[in-house]
Amino acid sequence: MHPFRDVIRADFERWLDGRPMTARNSCSALLRNQGLQAVLVYRFGRQLVWAKRRLWCWPLLVPGVPLYLIAAAVIRGCYGIHLFQSAQIGPGFSVQHFGGVEVANCRLGEGCTVGQQTKVGSKMAAEGPEVGDGVWIGGHAKVLGPVRVGDGATIAPGARVTKAIPARAFVVGDPGRVVFRGYDNRQIQPKS
Amino acid sequence: MSRTPGRWVVSQNRNERVALSAIREDIEFYITLRHPGGCGSLRRFFSCLSSRGLLVLEVQRLMRHYNALRRQIGWTPRTLALKLLLLLGRIMAITLAKSDISETSTLDGGVYLSDHGYLIVGPRRLGRGSLIHQRVTIGAKAGGGPIKPVIGENVWIGPDCIIYGQIEIGDGATILPGTVLSMNVPAHAVAAGNPATIIAREFDNAALRQSLRTDIDRAQFASPCIRSGT
Repeated sequence: MHPFRDVIRADFERWLDGRPMTARNSCSALLRNQGLQAVLVYRFGRQLVWAKRRLWCWPLLVPGVPLYLIAAAVIRGCYGIHLFQSAQIGPGFSVQHFGGVEVANCRLGEGCTVGQQTKVGSKMAAEGPEVGDGVWIGGHAKVLGPVRVGDGATIAPGARVTKAIPARAFVVGDPGRVVFRGYDNRQIQPKS
Repeated sequence: MSRTPGRWVVSQNRNERVALSAIREDIEFYITLRHPGGCGSLRRFFSCLSSRGLLVLEVQRLMRHYNALRRQIGWTPRTLALKLLLLLGRIMAITLAKSDISETSTLDGGVYLSDHGYLIVGPRRLGRGSLIHQRVTIGAKAGGGPIKPVIGENVWIGPDCIIYGQIEIGDGATILPGTVLSMNVPAHAVAAGNPATIIAREFDNAALRQSLRTDIDRAQFASPCIRSGT
Protein backbone atom coordinates (compact mmCIF):
# COMPACT_ATOMS: atom_id res chain seq x y z
CA MET A 1 0.00 0.00 0.00
CA HIS A 2 1.45 3.32 -1.08
CA PRO A 3 1.04 6.34 1.17
CA PHE A 4 -1.73 8.65 0.01
CA ARG A 5 0.62 11.57 -0.47
CA ASP A 6 2.91 9.66 -2.83
CA VAL A 7 -0.05 8.40 -4.86
CA ILE A 8 -1.35 11.95 -5.39
CA ARG A 9 2.14 13.16 -6.26
CA ALA A 10 2.50 10.40 -8.86
CA ASP A 11 -0.88 11.33 -10.38
CA PHE A 12 0.13 14.97 -10.66
CA GLU A 13 3.54 14.18 -12.10
CA ARG A 14 1.95 12.52 -15.11
CA TRP A 15 0.66 15.95 -16.13
CA LEU A 16 3.53 18.16 -15.07
CA ASP A 17 5.73 17.19 -18.02
CA GLY A 18 8.90 17.18 -15.98
CA ARG A 19 8.30 20.58 -14.39
CA PRO A 20 8.70 20.85 -10.62
CA MET A 21 5.57 20.25 -8.57
CA THR A 22 4.99 23.75 -7.32
CA ALA A 23 1.59 25.07 -6.25
CA ARG A 24 1.29 27.10 -9.45
CA ASN A 25 2.12 24.22 -11.80
CA SER A 26 -0.17 21.85 -9.91
CA CYS A 27 -3.10 24.25 -10.00
CA SER A 28 -2.74 24.89 -13.72
CA ALA A 29 -2.50 21.14 -14.38
CA LEU A 30 -5.60 20.56 -12.26
CA LEU A 31 -7.64 23.25 -13.99
CA ARG A 32 -6.73 22.16 -17.49
CA ASN A 33 -7.07 18.41 -17.18
CA GLN A 34 -10.49 17.04 -16.41
CA GLY A 35 -9.00 13.54 -16.17
CA LEU A 36 -6.77 14.61 -13.30
CA GLN A 37 -9.76 16.03 -11.42
CA ALA A 38 -11.60 12.73 -11.85
CA VAL A 39 -8.59 10.74 -10.61
CA LEU A 40 -8.29 12.97 -7.54
CA VAL A 41 -11.95 12.42 -6.66
CA TYR A 42 -11.45 8.69 -7.08
CA ARG A 43 -8.41 8.79 -4.76
CA PHE A 44 -10.44 10.69 -2.20
CA GLY A 45 -13.04 7.94 -2.29
CA ARG A 46 -10.36 5.30 -1.77
CA GLN A 47 -9.12 7.23 1.22
CA LEU A 48 -12.63 7.18 2.68
CA VAL A 49 -12.68 3.38 2.32
CA TRP A 50 -9.37 3.31 4.17
CA ALA A 51 -10.77 5.58 6.89
CA LYS A 52 -13.88 3.46 7.30
CA ARG A 53 -11.80 0.64 8.78
CA ARG A 54 -10.34 2.86 11.50
CA LEU A 55 -12.56 3.91 14.36
CA TRP A 56 -10.66 7.13 15.08
CA CYS A 57 -11.28 8.28 11.50
CA TRP A 58 -15.05 7.97 11.64
CA PRO A 59 -15.73 11.65 12.47
CA LEU A 60 -13.97 12.52 9.21
CA LEU A 61 -16.46 10.41 7.29
CA VAL A 62 -19.36 12.67 8.27
CA PRO A 63 -18.33 15.53 5.96
CA GLY A 64 -16.21 13.30 3.73
CA VAL A 65 -18.81 10.89 2.37
CA PRO A 66 -21.36 13.49 1.17
CA LEU A 67 -18.50 15.53 -0.29
CA TYR A 68 -17.25 12.51 -2.21
CA LEU A 69 -20.71 11.56 -3.45
CA ILE A 70 -21.36 15.07 -4.74
CA ALA A 71 -17.92 15.38 -6.34
CA ALA A 72 -18.18 11.97 -8.01
CA ALA A 73 -21.65 12.80 -9.35
CA VAL A 74 -20.38 16.09 -10.77
CA ILE A 75 -17.42 14.36 -12.45
CA ARG A 76 -19.68 11.68 -13.90
CA GLY A 77 -22.32 14.10 -15.08
CA CYS A 78 -20.07 16.85 -16.40
CA TYR A 79 -17.13 14.96 -17.87
CA GLY A 80 -18.50 11.45 -18.34
CA ILE A 81 -15.52 9.88 -16.55
CA HIS A 82 -16.70 6.91 -14.51
CA LEU A 83 -14.00 5.69 -12.13
CA PHE A 84 -15.81 3.28 -9.83
CA GLN A 85 -14.54 2.34 -6.39
CA SER A 86 -14.66 -1.33 -7.38
CA ALA A 87 -11.54 -0.66 -9.47
CA GLN A 88 -8.14 -0.76 -7.84
CA ILE A 89 -5.99 1.76 -9.65
CA GLY A 90 -2.28 2.07 -8.96
CA PRO A 91 -0.48 5.40 -8.52
CA GLY A 92 0.30 7.54 -11.54
CA PHE A 93 -2.97 6.98 -13.36
CA SER A 94 -3.77 9.32 -16.22
CA VAL A 95 -7.03 9.84 -18.13
CA GLN A 96 -6.06 11.56 -21.35
CA HIS A 97 -9.44 12.95 -22.41
CA PHE A 98 -12.87 13.22 -20.87
CA GLY A 99 -15.96 11.53 -22.22
CA GLY A 100 -17.17 7.97 -21.84
CA VAL A 101 -14.33 6.55 -19.74
CA GLU A 102 -15.43 3.63 -17.58
CA VAL A 103 -13.06 1.86 -15.20
CA ALA A 104 -14.81 -0.63 -12.92
CA ASN A 105 -14.21 -3.93 -11.19
CA CYS A 106 -10.60 -4.35 -12.27
CA ARG A 107 -7.01 -3.93 -11.12
CA LEU A 108 -4.68 -1.47 -12.81
CA GLY A 109 -0.97 -1.26 -12.06
CA GLU A 110 1.25 1.76 -11.69
CA GLY A 111 1.56 4.41 -14.36
CA CYS A 112 -1.32 3.37 -16.62
CA THR A 113 -2.86 5.68 -19.22
CA VAL A 114 -6.34 5.48 -20.71
CA GLY A 115 -7.89 7.53 -23.49
CA GLN A 116 -11.42 8.73 -24.13
CA GLN A 117 -14.34 6.28 -24.56
CA THR A 118 -12.25 3.51 -22.97
CA LYS A 119 -14.01 0.72 -21.11
CA VAL A 120 -11.87 -1.25 -18.64
CA GLY A 121 -13.82 -3.86 -16.72
CA SER A 122 -17.56 -3.97 -16.48
CA LYS A 123 -19.87 -3.18 -13.60
CA MET A 124 -21.91 -6.32 -14.21
CA ALA A 125 -19.20 -8.95 -14.65
CA ALA A 126 -18.12 -11.08 -11.68
CA GLU A 127 -14.45 -10.93 -12.63
CA GLY A 128 -12.65 -8.01 -14.17
CA PRO A 129 -9.38 -7.67 -16.04
CA GLU A 130 -6.02 -7.42 -14.36
CA VAL A 131 -3.80 -4.85 -16.02
CA GLY A 132 -0.07 -4.61 -15.30
CA ASP A 133 2.20 -1.61 -14.79
CA GLY A 134 2.77 1.07 -17.40
CA VAL A 135 0.05 -0.10 -19.78
CA TRP A 136 -1.12 2.41 -22.41
CA ILE A 137 -4.76 1.96 -23.43
CA GLY A 138 -5.80 4.11 -26.38
CA GLY A 139 -9.12 5.77 -27.05
CA HIS A 140 -12.25 3.68 -27.70
CA ALA A 141 -10.44 0.51 -26.54
CA LYS A 142 -12.29 -2.17 -24.59
CA VAL A 143 -10.75 -4.50 -22.00
CA LEU A 144 -13.79 -6.21 -20.54
CA GLY A 145 -13.40 -9.90 -19.73
CA PRO A 146 -11.33 -11.54 -16.99
CA VAL A 147 -8.07 -11.22 -18.93
CA ARG A 148 -4.52 -10.49 -17.81
CA VAL A 149 -2.67 -7.68 -19.60
CA GLY A 150 1.09 -7.77 -19.07
CA ASP A 151 3.36 -4.95 -17.95
CA GLY A 152 4.16 -2.28 -20.49
CA ALA A 153 1.64 -3.51 -23.05
CA THR A 154 0.14 -1.09 -25.56
CA ILE A 155 -3.49 -1.38 -26.60
CA ALA A 156 -4.07 0.62 -29.76
CA PRO A 157 -7.08 2.92 -30.21
CA GLY A 158 -10.23 1.00 -31.04
CA ALA A 159 -8.86 -2.40 -30.00
CA ARG A 160 -10.98 -4.92 -28.06
CA VAL A 161 -8.97 -7.25 -25.83
CA THR A 162 -10.47 -10.71 -25.52
CA LYS A 163 -7.53 -12.86 -24.38
CA ALA A 164 -4.41 -12.59 -22.24
CA ILE A 165 -1.80 -10.16 -23.52
CA PRO A 166 1.92 -10.75 -22.84
CA ALA A 167 4.16 -8.02 -21.45
CA ARG A 168 5.31 -5.27 -23.83
CA ALA A 169 2.99 -6.44 -26.62
CA PHE A 170 1.24 -4.17 -29.10
CA VAL A 171 -2.43 -5.04 -29.64
CA VAL A 172 -4.62 -3.77 -32.47
CA GLY A 173 -7.96 -4.64 -34.00
CA ASP A 174 -11.33 -5.99 -33.02
CA PRO A 175 -10.96 -8.74 -31.76
CA GLY A 176 -7.51 -7.71 -30.60
CA ARG A 177 -4.41 -9.47 -31.83
CA VAL A 178 -0.79 -9.00 -30.91
CA VAL A 179 1.00 -7.53 -33.93
CA PHE A 180 4.42 -7.32 -32.37
CA ARG A 181 6.16 -7.85 -29.07
CA GLY A 182 8.84 -5.90 -27.32
CA TYR A 183 7.25 -2.51 -28.07
CA ASP A 184 8.48 0.24 -25.78
CA ASN A 185 5.51 2.47 -25.00
CA ARG A 186 7.51 5.03 -23.02
CA GLN A 187 7.67 7.20 -26.14
CA ILE A 188 3.89 7.59 -26.21
CA GLN A 189 3.30 7.73 -22.46
CA PRO A 190 3.09 11.24 -21.07
CA LYS A 191 6.34 12.12 -19.36
CA SER A 192 6.47 11.50 -15.65
CA MET B 1 -36.97 30.34 -45.63
CA SER B 2 -33.89 32.19 -46.81
CA ARG B 3 -32.49 34.75 -44.46
CA THR B 4 -31.54 38.08 -45.91
CA PRO B 5 -27.92 38.98 -45.26
CA GLY B 6 -28.82 42.51 -44.26
CA ARG B 7 -30.41 41.38 -41.04
CA TRP B 8 -27.04 40.31 -39.68
CA VAL B 9 -24.63 42.74 -38.16
CA VAL B 10 -22.16 43.75 -40.84
CA SER B 11 -18.85 44.40 -39.19
CA GLN B 12 -15.95 46.41 -40.49
CA ASN B 13 -13.55 43.84 -39.12
CA ARG B 14 -12.67 41.20 -41.71
CA ASN B 15 -12.07 38.43 -39.16
CA GLU B 16 -15.40 39.10 -37.58
CA ARG B 17 -17.16 39.00 -40.95
CA VAL B 18 -15.54 35.66 -41.72
CA ALA B 19 -16.53 34.24 -38.33
CA LEU B 20 -20.09 35.52 -38.64
CA SER B 21 -20.56 34.20 -42.16
CA ALA B 22 -19.24 30.78 -41.06
CA ILE B 23 -21.71 30.77 -38.16
CA ARG B 24 -24.53 31.69 -40.54
CA GLU B 25 -23.61 28.84 -42.88
CA ASP B 26 -23.48 26.42 -39.95
CA ILE B 27 -26.97 27.40 -38.85
CA GLU B 28 -28.34 27.05 -42.40
CA PHE B 29 -26.75 23.62 -42.75
CA TYR B 30 -27.97 22.50 -39.34
CA ILE B 31 -31.54 23.59 -40.06
CA THR B 32 -31.65 21.82 -43.43
CA LEU B 33 -30.46 18.62 -41.73
CA ARG B 34 -32.66 18.86 -38.68
CA HIS B 35 -35.84 20.06 -40.38
CA PRO B 36 -35.67 18.80 -43.97
CA GLY B 37 -39.20 20.03 -44.70
CA GLY B 38 -38.48 23.56 -43.50
CA CYS B 39 -39.74 25.20 -40.34
CA GLY B 40 -40.84 28.53 -38.92
CA SER B 41 -38.46 31.05 -37.46
CA LEU B 42 -39.48 30.42 -33.84
CA ARG B 43 -38.87 26.70 -34.12
CA ARG B 44 -35.66 27.42 -35.97
CA PHE B 45 -34.50 29.69 -33.17
CA PHE B 46 -35.25 27.19 -30.43
CA SER B 47 -33.75 24.24 -32.26
CA CYS B 48 -30.53 26.22 -32.79
CA LEU B 49 -30.51 27.26 -29.16
CA SER B 50 -30.92 23.69 -27.92
CA SER B 51 -28.35 22.21 -30.29
CA ARG B 52 -25.25 21.07 -28.47
CA GLY B 53 -23.32 20.46 -31.68
CA LEU B 54 -23.82 24.06 -32.76
CA LEU B 55 -22.73 25.26 -29.33
CA VAL B 56 -19.45 23.37 -29.56
CA LEU B 57 -18.87 24.53 -33.12
CA GLU B 58 -19.57 28.20 -32.47
CA VAL B 59 -17.48 28.29 -29.32
CA GLN B 60 -14.57 26.99 -31.38
CA ARG B 61 -15.15 29.57 -34.14
CA LEU B 62 -15.42 32.44 -31.67
CA MET B 63 -12.30 31.19 -29.91
CA ARG B 64 -10.34 31.38 -33.15
CA HIS B 65 -11.76 34.82 -33.84
CA TYR B 66 -10.89 35.93 -30.31
CA ASN B 67 -7.31 34.70 -30.64
CA ALA B 68 -6.88 36.69 -33.86
CA LEU B 69 -8.49 39.75 -32.30
CA ARG B 70 -6.31 39.69 -29.23
CA ARG B 71 -3.20 39.38 -31.34
CA GLN B 72 -4.38 42.41 -33.30
CA ILE B 73 -5.59 44.84 -30.67
CA GLY B 74 -4.41 43.40 -27.34
CA TRP B 75 -6.41 43.56 -24.15
CA THR B 76 -9.44 45.84 -24.37
CA PRO B 77 -12.83 45.63 -22.61
CA ARG B 78 -14.14 43.97 -25.76
CA THR B 79 -11.59 41.14 -25.80
CA LEU B 80 -12.00 40.70 -22.05
CA ALA B 81 -15.78 40.35 -22.40
CA LEU B 82 -15.33 37.90 -25.27
CA LYS B 83 -12.83 35.92 -23.18
CA LEU B 84 -15.28 35.59 -20.28
CA LEU B 85 -18.09 34.64 -22.66
CA LEU B 86 -15.90 31.99 -24.26
CA LEU B 87 -14.83 30.60 -20.90
CA LEU B 88 -18.49 30.10 -20.04
CA GLY B 89 -19.17 28.64 -23.49
CA ARG B 90 -16.30 26.22 -23.18
CA ILE B 91 -17.49 25.01 -19.79
CA MET B 92 -20.95 24.53 -21.29
CA ALA B 93 -19.51 22.68 -24.29
CA ILE B 94 -17.59 20.33 -22.02
CA THR B 95 -20.38 19.68 -19.54
CA LEU B 96 -23.31 19.49 -21.96
CA ALA B 97 -21.74 17.91 -25.02
CA LYS B 98 -18.59 16.30 -23.54
CA SER B 99 -16.85 17.60 -26.63
CA ASP B 100 -13.52 19.25 -27.20
CA ILE B 101 -12.65 20.85 -30.53
CA SER B 102 -9.06 21.97 -30.93
CA GLU B 103 -8.54 25.72 -31.23
CA THR B 104 -5.86 25.25 -33.86
CA SER B 105 -8.04 23.41 -36.35
CA THR B 106 -9.56 25.25 -39.33
CA LEU B 107 -13.21 24.42 -39.82
CA ASP B 108 -14.87 25.68 -43.00
CA GLY B 109 -18.35 27.15 -42.79
CA GLY B 110 -21.35 24.82 -43.03
CA VAL B 111 -20.26 21.70 -41.16
CA TYR B 112 -22.34 19.57 -38.82
CA LEU B 113 -21.18 18.19 -35.48
CA SER B 114 -23.36 15.68 -33.69
CA ASP B 115 -25.76 16.81 -31.00
CA HIS B 116 -25.08 13.64 -29.03
CA GLY B 117 -21.58 14.84 -28.21
CA TYR B 118 -18.50 12.91 -27.06
CA LEU B 119 -16.42 14.43 -29.85
CA ILE B 120 -12.68 14.84 -29.35
CA VAL B 121 -11.94 16.45 -32.68
CA GLY B 122 -8.87 18.32 -33.88
CA PRO B 123 -8.29 18.05 -37.63
CA ARG B 124 -5.94 20.40 -39.42
CA ARG B 125 -8.79 21.30 -41.77
CA LEU B 126 -12.41 20.21 -42.07
CA GLY B 127 -14.08 20.95 -45.38
CA ARG B 128 -17.46 22.46 -46.14
CA GLY B 129 -20.54 20.27 -45.90
CA SER B 130 -18.96 17.55 -43.75
CA LEU B 131 -20.87 15.63 -41.10
CA ILE B 132 -19.33 14.22 -37.93
CA HIS B 133 -21.49 11.94 -35.83
CA GLN B 134 -21.24 11.13 -32.14
CA ARG B 135 -18.29 9.59 -30.25
CA VAL B 136 -15.71 10.42 -32.90
CA THR B 137 -12.05 11.02 -32.19
CA ILE B 138 -9.88 12.87 -34.70
CA GLY B 139 -6.35 13.76 -33.74
CA ALA B 140 -2.63 13.32 -33.89
CA LYS B 141 -1.01 9.93 -33.55
CA ALA B 142 0.36 9.27 -30.06
CA GLY B 143 4.13 9.67 -30.22
CA GLY B 144 3.93 10.46 -33.92
CA GLY B 145 4.35 14.22 -33.80
CA PRO B 146 1.72 16.95 -33.86
CA ILE B 147 0.52 16.45 -37.45
CA LYS B 148 -3.23 15.94 -37.63
CA PRO B 149 -5.57 14.69 -40.38
CA VAL B 150 -6.89 16.85 -43.22
CA ILE B 151 -10.53 16.20 -44.07
CA GLY B 152 -11.97 17.32 -47.39
CA GLU B 153 -15.39 18.62 -48.32
CA ASN B 154 -18.67 16.70 -48.10
CA VAL B 155 -17.19 13.91 -45.98
CA TRP B 156 -19.53 11.74 -43.92
CA ILE B 157 -18.01 10.35 -40.73
CA GLY B 158 -20.14 7.84 -38.85
CA PRO B 159 -20.39 7.27 -35.11
CA ASP B 160 -17.57 5.66 -33.06
CA CYS B 161 -14.86 6.44 -35.61
CA ILE B 162 -11.23 7.07 -34.76
CA ILE B 163 -9.16 9.00 -37.29
CA TYR B 164 -5.53 9.74 -36.48
CA GLY B 165 -2.12 10.43 -37.92
CA GLN B 166 -0.79 12.37 -40.88
CA ILE B 167 -3.52 11.44 -43.36
CA GLU B 168 -5.79 13.05 -45.90
CA ILE B 169 -9.42 12.20 -46.52
CA GLY B 170 -10.57 13.18 -49.99
CA ASP B 171 -13.72 15.08 -50.93
CA GLY B 172 -16.97 13.14 -50.71
CA ALA B 173 -15.46 10.19 -48.81
CA THR B 174 -17.57 8.08 -46.46
CA ILE B 175 -16.21 6.64 -43.22
CA LEU B 176 -18.58 3.95 -41.97
CA PRO B 177 -19.44 3.64 -38.25
CA GLY B 178 -16.79 2.08 -36.04
CA THR B 179 -13.83 2.63 -38.35
CA VAL B 180 -10.29 2.99 -37.02
CA LEU B 181 -8.57 4.93 -39.78
CA SER B 182 -4.90 5.80 -40.05
CA MET B 183 -4.36 5.87 -43.82
CA ASN B 184 -5.26 8.14 -46.72
CA VAL B 185 -8.72 7.81 -48.24
CA PRO B 186 -9.18 8.86 -51.88
CA ALA B 187 -12.07 11.07 -52.93
CA HIS B 188 -15.53 9.43 -53.03
CA ALA B 189 -14.23 6.20 -51.46
CA VAL B 190 -15.76 4.26 -48.56
CA ALA B 191 -13.57 3.17 -45.65
CA ALA B 192 -14.63 0.65 -42.99
CA GLY B 193 -13.25 -1.80 -40.48
CA ASN B 194 -10.78 -1.97 -37.64
CA PRO B 195 -8.07 -1.51 -38.98
CA ALA B 196 -9.66 0.28 -41.92
CA THR B 197 -9.76 -0.82 -45.54
CA ILE B 198 -11.25 0.80 -48.61
CA ILE B 199 -14.35 -1.27 -49.36
CA ALA B 200 -15.83 0.73 -52.25
CA ARG B 201 -14.92 3.51 -54.63
CA GLU B 202 -17.00 6.11 -56.43
CA PHE B 203 -19.77 6.04 -53.85
CA ASP B 204 -22.07 9.04 -53.81
CA ASN B 205 -22.88 9.95 -50.21
CA ALA B 206 -25.25 12.82 -51.05
CA ALA B 207 -28.29 10.92 -49.76
CA LEU B 208 -26.44 10.09 -46.55
CA ARG B 209 -25.49 13.71 -46.00
CA GLN B 210 -29.03 14.99 -46.36
CA SER B 211 -30.35 13.24 -43.28
CA LEU B 212 -29.03 12.43 -39.86
CA ARG B 213 -29.49 8.70 -40.27
CA THR B 214 -26.56 6.50 -39.36
CA ASP B 215 -27.98 3.06 -40.20
CA ILE B 216 -25.41 2.19 -42.82
CA ASP B 217 -23.40 -0.99 -42.73
CA ARG B 218 -20.61 -2.54 -44.78
CA ALA B 219 -23.05 -5.26 -45.83
CA GLN B 220 -24.57 -2.66 -48.16
CA PHE B 221 -21.24 -2.54 -50.00
CA ALA B 222 -21.03 -6.22 -50.96
CA SER B 223 -18.49 -6.71 -53.72
CA PRO B 224 -19.90 -6.61 -57.28
CA CYS B 225 -18.71 -10.11 -58.15
CA ILE B 226 -20.72 -11.65 -55.29
CA ARG B 227 -23.73 -9.59 -56.30
CA SER B 228 -23.50 -10.76 -59.92
CA GLY B 229 -23.09 -14.41 -58.81
CA THR B 230 -26.35 -14.49 -56.89
